[in-house]
Amino acid sequence: MNILCLGVNHESAPVEIRERMAFAHKNLASSLHDIQALDEIDEVVVLSTCNRVEIYAACKKIENGFDVIRDYLDQHFQMQTGETVDFYKLHNHAAARHLFSVAGGLDSMVLGETEIFGQVKKAYADAQNAGATSRALNKLFQQSFTAGKLIRTNTQLTRGASSVGSVAVDLAEKIFGDLSKCRVMLIGAGDMSRRTAKSLHSRGAKSIIVSNRSYDNAVKLAQEMDGKAIHFDDWSDSLNEVDIIVSSTAATHHVIHAEMIQSAMPQRGHQPLFVIDIAVPRDVDPAVGDIENVYLYDIGALEGIAAQTRHERKKQVAHCEQVLDQFIEEKGIDALAPAQSGPPTQSPSQQQKCDASSKSTSALPES
Amino acid sequence: MGQAFSYDVFLMDKIFLVISTLCFFGGFAYAVNGLRAGRHHDSRANLLVMGLGFAFLCATLYLRGQIHQRCPITSLHEVLIFLSWSMGLLYFILGKSFRLSLLGVFTAPLVLLFQLVALVGFFMEGTPAAIAKKTDQIDVWLELHASVSLVSFGALALAGVAGLMYLVQNRQLKRHQLKTLFYNLPPIQYLITAMFRLIAIGVMLLTIGTASAFFMRNVPAPIHQGLSMLTLLLYIILLVLYRRNRIGNIKLAQGAILLFSLPLLILMIL
Repeated sequence: MNILCLGVNHESAPVEIRERMAFAHKNLASSLHDIQALDEIDEVVVLSTCNRVEIYAACKKIENGFDVIRDYLDQHFQMQTGETVDFYKLHNHAAARHLFSVAGGLDSMVLGETEIFGQVKKAYADAQNAGATSRALNKLFQQSFTAGKLIRTNTQLTRGASSVGSVAVDLAEKIFGDLSKCRVMLIGAGDMSRRTAKSLHSRGAKSIIVSNRSYDNAVKLAQEMDGKAIHFDDWSDSLNEVDIIVSSTAATHHVIHAEMIQSAMPQRGHQPLFVIDIAVPRDVDPAVGDIENVYLYDIGALEGIAAQTRHERKKQVAHCEQVLDQFIEEKGIDALAPAQSGPPTQSPSQQQKCDASSKSTSALPES
Repeated sequence: MGQAFSYDVFLMDKIFLVISTLCFFGGFAYAVNGLRAGRHHDSRANLLVMGLGFAFLCATLYLRGQIHQRCPITSLHEVLIFLSWSMGLLYFILGKSFRLSLLGVFTAPLVLLFQLVALVGFFMEGTPAAIAKKTDQIDVWLELHASVSLVSFGALALAGVAGLMYLVQNRQLKRHQLKTLFYNLPPIQYLITAMFRLIAIGVMLLTIGTASAFFMRNVPAPIHQGLSMLTLLLYIILLVLYRRNRIGNIKLAQGAILLFSLPLLILMIL
């Protein structure tokens, strides 16, 4: 039995191609059955996310397997004559290793993101429920879950947050621990503060106060978050009642001054205050950060941490590859997915480094 | 027959102490290695090693109790062992409930140091008979004073450890420098709560320990009594100032670290 992987991802194909090739979830079961019914194909799993469409299959003959799936895709997505898609074609050991990288977040657009792990699990569960998997793919996907967990726990690939919103939430949790008792105040109801507040809300923050120059907008956002709106002139009265302040007004001068925070702190006892300033120009006087128990992060600091995380994650890639190599050696993946006997195949990232002529480009049938 | 039993016990307590020290060293090394590798989840293996170290420490104290036929706090090295035990006990009780698993990393070096000094003392001490001679009279108030005071010192030591963790975490958060340690340290709010509660527990126990000294058959030396009272007074002042918002979290943490030098001084002059 051979295992193959045919697919496109964010590196090999533009979004226009990826969105055209996305499998609708409601039709997935019938698509799985259709692919499984193709000549040579015994088992199949379709992984279809916004950044990749990959078909994993167990088949008797590799080249025939690639051909029949490619023909199916051409027909299923009604590709026009002359249209070309840069599929990567991986088989056996290379296909297995690629799946492990995907499950570990090594092949993701945001390196180290963990959402893909759940998506791989779901793709496998869907295929299993449709009766499209058997011994070979069952074992391969089970191993991929172990590999994904191994990368998460034994490396620093998933450590830290790589976007401004998630950095803010991570910091809030490092200051307060459980966010369910935290009270949040939004000063300004712009898009950034809305997103940050939603992130905090999703992690448990319940009591949210919104203050905005346009009171109607404040009410609207407050309703979205099950919070309450206050008039812009009144926000300073609530300073001693909140634990997290997210400020993003369009003001051209400082809105929050050190004296205001200083005077509110004694009423807060020894409770820390987390101030997130995501406005440009800044809303919060930098001197606020010098006050004891106050932790001030402006957009520059948040972006700096996010960039640092991304940089650290890149540095982890080599270590992750080693972990995967060791895992494959220990688990004897070669027995499951034997080393390739045909022409060597390349991983999607390797393909990117090659020039166009050497790409494993699959031209869809011209007629 | 009794003498032979004592010799066996006399050897076993040292073996148990060596094993316990090795376990704590192993737990410390594992935790430091984990920190360097960036693992930031609780490890059952590490907890098991720390638990084994604590179990062997309990066994050591039990055997010393058999030798003395009383609470084994008769010499500096036994005091250090008892102090390690109380810190271990508080770590297992408070560490988990406050989710301060990393407290072990900070506690372990102190426990290791205490146990290494104690080991040297253990191997230099005389025969079981010579040791038993020193402690032929039992004073209930002395037992209470010594044991409760030592557990209070354990709580105050952990308060100092929590204070150190708070200062490290506060510095990283203030300077926006989130290094490996940042991801492993507990939330700063938990550290503040733990610090205050540990000092409060320490003060309560020290009050009982200090008060019981007044009922002892042989009242301790004035310098010992004076230092105990001074320690208690300073910790109470620290708590009162904190509760009345006269000092903040940083001063409380610094106070918890600096004031622990007093219990150490008391132990040295014991």
